[in-house]
Amino acid sequence: MRTADQIKKGELATIDRILPSELTLHLMEMGFLPGKKISLLQRAPLKDPLAFKLGNTVIALRKSEAKLIEVTLEN
Amino acid sequence: MPEVLTPPKQSTFTVALIGNPNVGKTTIFNRLTGLRQKVGNYPGVTVDKRYANIKVEDQEATIIDLPGTYSIYPNSEDEVIVHRVLNGLDKENRPDFVLAVVDMSSMERGLFLVTQIMDLGLPMAIVLNMSDTAQEQGIKVKSHALYKALGVPVIQTNARSNHGISGITDLISQKMFEKPAPFINIQDLLPQDLSERILARFSLDNTYQAYQLIRFHDKEPVLSLEDSRWLHDQVETADYDIKQTQLEETQKRYKAIQAVLESVVEKTDIERKRLTDKLDSIFLHKIGGYVIFLGILLVIFQAVFAWSAVPMDLIDGLFASLSSSVANILPAGVLTDLISEGVIPGIGGIVIFIPQIALLFAFLGILEDTGYMSRVVFLMDRIMRPFGLNGKSVVPLISGIACAIPGIMATRNIGNWKDRLITIMVTPLMSCSARLPVYVILIGIAVPESYVGPFNLQAVALLGMYLLGIVAVLLTSWILKLSLNFKERSYLMVEMPLFRLPRWKDVLITMYGKSKTFVFEAGKVILTISIVLWVLASYGPSGVREEAISAIEAPASDASEEAVDQYENKVASAELESSYIGIAGKFIEPAIKPLGYDWKIGIALITSFAAREVFVSTMATLYSVGSDVEDELTIQQKLESEVNPETGKAVFNIATAFSLIVFYAFAMQCMSTLAVVYRETKGWKWPLIQTVYMTALAYVSAWAVYQFLS
Repeated sequence: MRTADQIKKGELATIDRILPSELTLHLMEMGFLPGKKISLLQRAPLKDPLAFKLGNTVIALRKSEAKLIEVTLEN
Repeated sequence: MPEVLTPPKQSTFTVALIGNPNVGKTTIFNRLTGLRQKVGNYPGVTVDKRYANIKVEDQEATIIDLPGTYSIYPNSEDEVIVHRVLNGLDKENRPDFVLAVVDMSSMERGLFLVTQIMDLGLPMAIVLNMSDTAQEQGIKVKSHALYKALGVPVIQTNARSNHGISGITDLISQKMFEKPAPFINIQDLLPQDLSERILARFSLDNTYQAYQLIRFHDKEPVLSLEDSRWLHDQVETADYDIKQTQLEETQKRYKAIQAVLESVVEKTDIERKRLTDKLDSIFLHKIGGYVIFLGILLVIFQAVFAWSAVPMDLIDGLFASLSSSVANILPAGVLTDLISEGVIPGIGGIVIFIPQIALLFAFLGILEDTGYMSRVVFLMDRIMRPFGLNGKSVVPLISGIACAIPGIMATRNIGNWKDRLITIMVTPLMSCSARLPVYVILIGIAVPESYVGPFNLQAVALLGMYLLGIVAVLLTSWILKLSLNFKERSYLMVEMPLFRLPRWKDVLITMYGKSKTFVFEAGKVILTISIVLWVLASYGPSGVREEAISAIEAPASDASEEAVDQYENKVASAELESSYIGIAGKFIEPAIKPLGYDWKIGIALITSFAAREVFVSTMATLYSVGSDVEDELTIQQKLESEVNPETGKAVFNIATAFSLIVFYAFAMQCMSTLAVVYRETKGWKWPLIQTVYMTALAYVSAWAVYQFLS
């Protein structure tokens, strides 16, 4: 299964589910929900954190949080 | 007391302003209220309460600006406040109406919060803000359709350009708020009997309020222990899984919102790359990004020091002349002395920091308002992480260069308690502006004014002190990270808003408000301590003082002015020596001797415990230069010529001066910082630990430096 930290720049992915953890709810209320489209906008100079475009907003997550988001790449 | 803590009740009704972060809620609040804003406290938390009374037609309305939040679930203190106010736990602040601000180009998330408030059953209205950026992105919202779908009045505005503000004023004055039906099926959230029991005990209106109370009961300090236990037992007995229910609620709510938005929002795809994305490729560049950040820091640094020099000198002079004129006008006596030597310099000691603090807050306000601050967090997070810090720690640490107090206050938006605590604990190690006068004098003694290449050695030494502070910060946080055992997971989740031009009026209002808070919060402590110090320095055990003074040879009646001056200075010095503080200085002399200090420096250390900048004025009095604090050069010369009567060598040799510099770099010598740490950590545990380790670090390092150099 692919998680959001593996998305490359220019790829578009769909969120399948948020893995259970103490951050699940927090991620969901920020808008990371199953079915939503997500893409990688920026990678910080040291490869972490990652800035994702989600709808019209840009949200920065650490790799460890991005690993909690399961995605499928769009073709 | 500067403010009343709760809005006076003469107002006819209260409106709470709520919304996600970065939706322009504060701009709307500023547009509605201007400088009438007041800052107060909520009981039990450190979140500032911002409110203002405004006149709408012939009525008075109180507008409360609630902290920006994504939901009313408790992730931080901000959200606890939002919940408390909206759920009516805080009877004093319960609003009659809610005005929810939503970013038009991010409707889904905005409505998440809106529909939660709908379910709480509060009369409300929606402001769709930032219509300009929505338009640029090809988003159109049918307000009337949204009103039909939600049952809540909707208006569109663009607060930055003032467009639609009069609409908000009309809405408030005509009270066009409506109490909508629940948005999702709230009855499903709780077992009915559990819900009924909670509603009855806390006299709540509906199931959603009961449900939120369960979610909050262990985080809410206003709830009594008994109530909290009762709720806990009820949930246990009912075998109710609030976390699971909440996950389901979140998904259900988003689904329902998406269904609404499908018919309400029209989106034309615009294939244009956003300007913000282009700017981000510059500001977040792997080398350029850091160069720009460093450049911005240098500009701020330069401005905070250079621009504030003139007003600081003015304030200093003003208070000095105020002191002397008060001393001249009032009849001589203890009360006059207290006012002219204790109270006025004490107030002056607070006021003198206003230019620096105001400037710093203005710059931080601009960085925040333009959206740059979240880019700094993004750039720095990975670098700070090995030390147990967070990208969000950077802002407090930078502020700490001016003053630790606003720095520690700025840690509030670090959601994770461990990261926040570490940041609070290390921020006072940054070299703050109060250390600067101490450094300047001591470096003047210890470092020759010569050049190595184009560099002035003294300037290099000063820069070295700042670097030393940073090294101490990183090392200490690394040790804290290893020794603090918290289960909480460290995380970073930060929205990067669009880049925008700063709104100067908002920056000014923020600067004014924060400076005011500093003056009154820290001011109380500084003033108290200065008065206590004055008493300790002015009085001593009876007899000792008279003896000391009479031992000084009085000048002949025809003596020159210089000789009289000299006599007066000697008397002042003898007075201080025989005071309680002087006795304390002698008492600690054995302990500080290994660091290379005599009892006079001991007095300076004791008086500096309240505020380190007191060092200069104490040294001035001790080495009888008179009380002209500003005359740093003469103090320096005096210190250099001071000779130890026992050894016949200079007191301030290089080893002592460096040892003292290092001591001042690390020691916790600021009552106001302690007071702020107490406030932010809600107890004496952390400020005490901080004082002990900083003092220990200072002592050991100063000892090592002295032993190495002498």
